[in-house]
Amino acid sequence: MRQFLVTRLALHAANLVVIAFLLLPLAAATIGALQSAKSLQASTRSVLPPEWTLDNFRVILSGGAQKGAIFEQATYLPDNVKKIRYALTNSAIIATTVTLLTLAFGSLSAYTVARLRRRWVMWLMNLSVFARFVPVIVVMIPLYVTFRQLGLLNSVWGVIIALTGFLLPYGVVILAPYFATVPRELEEAARIDGCSRFGAFLRVTLPLSTPALASYGAIVFIVAWNDLLIPLILNNRAEFMTLPVVIASLVSDLFVFHNLMMAICLIALAPSVLLVLLLRRFVVEGLSAGAMKG
Amino acid sequence: MPAAAKRRGRAELSAAKLGVVMNLPTLATLALVLAYPIGYAAYLSFHKVTPAELRRGVFPSVGLANYERILSDPLFLLALKNTLVFTAVTVVAELALAIAIAHLIGQRQVWTSRVTRFLILLPYAVPPIANGLIWSFMYNFDFGFLNRLLFSAGLISKPVNWIGDPNTALLALTVPYIWRTLPFAVLLVHAALQGINPELYEAASVDGAGAFTRFRHITLPLLAPILVVILVLRTSFAFVVFEEVLAITQGGPGDATWVAVWYSYKRSFAPPFDIGIGAASAYVLALIIGALALAYVTIIYRRIE
Repeated sequence: MRQFLVTRLALHAANLVVIAFLLLPLAAATIGALQSAKSLQASTRSVLPPEWTLDNFRVILSGGAQKGAIFEQATYLPDNVKKIRYALTNSAIIATTVTLLTLAFGSLSAYTVARLRRRWVMWLMNLSVFARFVPVIVVMIPLYVTFRQLGLLNSVWGVIIALTGFLLPYGVVILAPYFATVPRELEEAARIDGCSRFGAFLRVTLPLSTPALASYGAIVFIVAWNDLLIPLILNNRAEFMTLPVVIASLVSDLFVFHNLMMAICLIALAPSVLLVLLLRRFVVEGLSAGAMKG
Repeated sequence: MPAAAKRRGRAELSAAKLGVVMNLPTLATLALVLAYPIGYAAYLSFHKVTPAELRRGVFPSVGLANYERILSDPLFLLALKNTLVFTAVTVVAELALAIAIAHLIGQRQVWTSRVTRFLILLPYAVPPIANGLIWSFMYNFDFGFLNRLLFSAGLISKPVNWIGDPNTALLALTVPYIWRTLPFAVLLVHAALQGINPELYEAASVDGAGAFTRFRHITLPLLAPILVVILVLRTSFAFVVFEEVLAITQGGPGDATWVAVWYSYKRSFAPPFDIGIGAASAYVLALIIGALALAYVTIIYRRIE
C-alpha cells in the first residue's frame, strides 16, 4: 500500500513536470502580451507584471488606429503591424481554400487507389508516400522563378496552388486505406439501384468516410495556417502576407516590441490550437494513419 | 435491374477512364508543384541565375560550378555539420522523451495523466514561427522569461546568456524544436503501447520479471518498428529546420547556427540573390533526405508483406 502511494505521487510529479513544460511558452507569451513595455522594463527579475493591460491587442486589431495608453508616446509602430488585418484575412482565405481543394482532389485520387486497382494508380500511392520527404525549399526555389514568370508572386493563388500540391500526397496516404475499409457491398447495392460508379463514391463512400475526411481536413488546415516558407518566398508585399510571414518580418522588431509581438503570436496560434483541442481525436487518428500505412 | 444496368452502360465511364478522370486534378497539381519544380531545380543548379539573369530571362550554363562553389564554401559545410548535430540531438531526445511520456499518459487511473494526454497535442498546432518568437522572448538576456523564472526561484544571481554564446546557441535551438515536434512521436509510441497485449506483462510478472526486465524484453522489442518509423520521419523533418532559426538566432551568433535550409534561403533570397547556388545547395539536402526516404519506404513495405 505504501509503495502504491509512492508510485502514484511520483507519477503525479512527472505529469506536473510535463504539463509545466507544455504550458511554459504559452504562459510566457500570455504574460508578455498582457503587459506594457514599461512594466516589462520596470523589473528584469519578476515574473508577473505590476499591472495588466489589453492595449497590445487593441493596437493590433485596430491596425494601429487605436493607440492604447502604452503606445501614446510611441512615434514608431512597425508598418506590418498596421496591416495585420490583411494578414488575418489572407491566412483565413488561404487555409480554408487549401483545405477544401485538398479534400476534393485528395478524395478523388484516394478513391481510385482504394477501388480501381490499376497499376499506374498504385504508383501514385507509392509516389505519395515518397513525396512527403521532398524538402519544401528544393521546390520553392524553382517555383519562385516559375511563378515570377507566370505573375503569381504576391497573390493568394500562388500560395494556394503550392500548398495544395504539398499537402495532397498526404491526403492520398490517409484517405485511401480508409476508403478501402468501406464495404464494397454497399457500393454495389447503390449501383444496382441505378447509381453510377462515381455516384456510388459520392453518395456512399464519402459520407461513410467522414472521420477520415475530418482527420485530413483538420491537419491540412493547421499546416496551411502555420506554414511560413511558401508564402515567405512567394509574397513579400504586406497586402498579401499571411500571419506567419508578418511574424517573420517583425523578428528584428522583437527587441523593441516584446509585448506587442507576444500578442501577435497569441493571435496567430489561437485558431489552430483551438482547432486541435476541438478535433483532438481526429488529428490523432490522422497523424497515426499517415505515419503507419503506406 | 436490367433497365438500371442499361442506363449505367450508356452513361458510365469504364473503370480505366474513370481512374484517369478522377486523378486529373491531383496529377495536374502535383505535376506543377512537385514534379516540374524538382526537375527545374536540377536545371537551375547547373546555371547562373541572379537578378540580372532573371530580368533578362536567359540563364547561362555554368556546368558544375555551383556545386564546386558550395562544396568548397566553409559556411555550407558548417551549415551541414550544424544540421547533423541539431538532428542527432533532437531525434535522440525525442525518442527517449516519447517513450517516457507515452508510458506516463497511458496511466488511465492517474488523473494528472489524463490532463497530460489532453494537452500533449497542443504544441503541434502552434505555428513554428510563433513558437520561435516566443522562445526568443523567453531566452532574451535582459527581459527574458526564463531568467525571470530562475531569479524568482533564487537559482541564479546574474542573467544567463542563453543564445548569445556560440558554443551553446545550437543546443538552445533544439529545445523549442523538441517542444513543438515531440507530440507526434509521443502519439505514435502511445498508440503502439495500446496495441501490446497486457497478458504478456502479467505472464512475465508471474515469472518474476521486474519492471526494467519487462521493459527491456517485452516493450522495447514490440516498439521497435514504430521507433524506426519515428526515427526516419523525425530525422528527415529535423533536417529541414528553418522557422526557429529565423526567429531565434538568424544564424548567429556569428555563423554558429547556420543550418542547411537557412543557407539555401539566404543565398537565394538575400544578397547575393544567387538562385543557382541556392538550388544546388537545396539539391544536396534533397539527395540526403531522399536516401532516408528510400530507407523508410523499404521498411514500411517489408512490414506490410
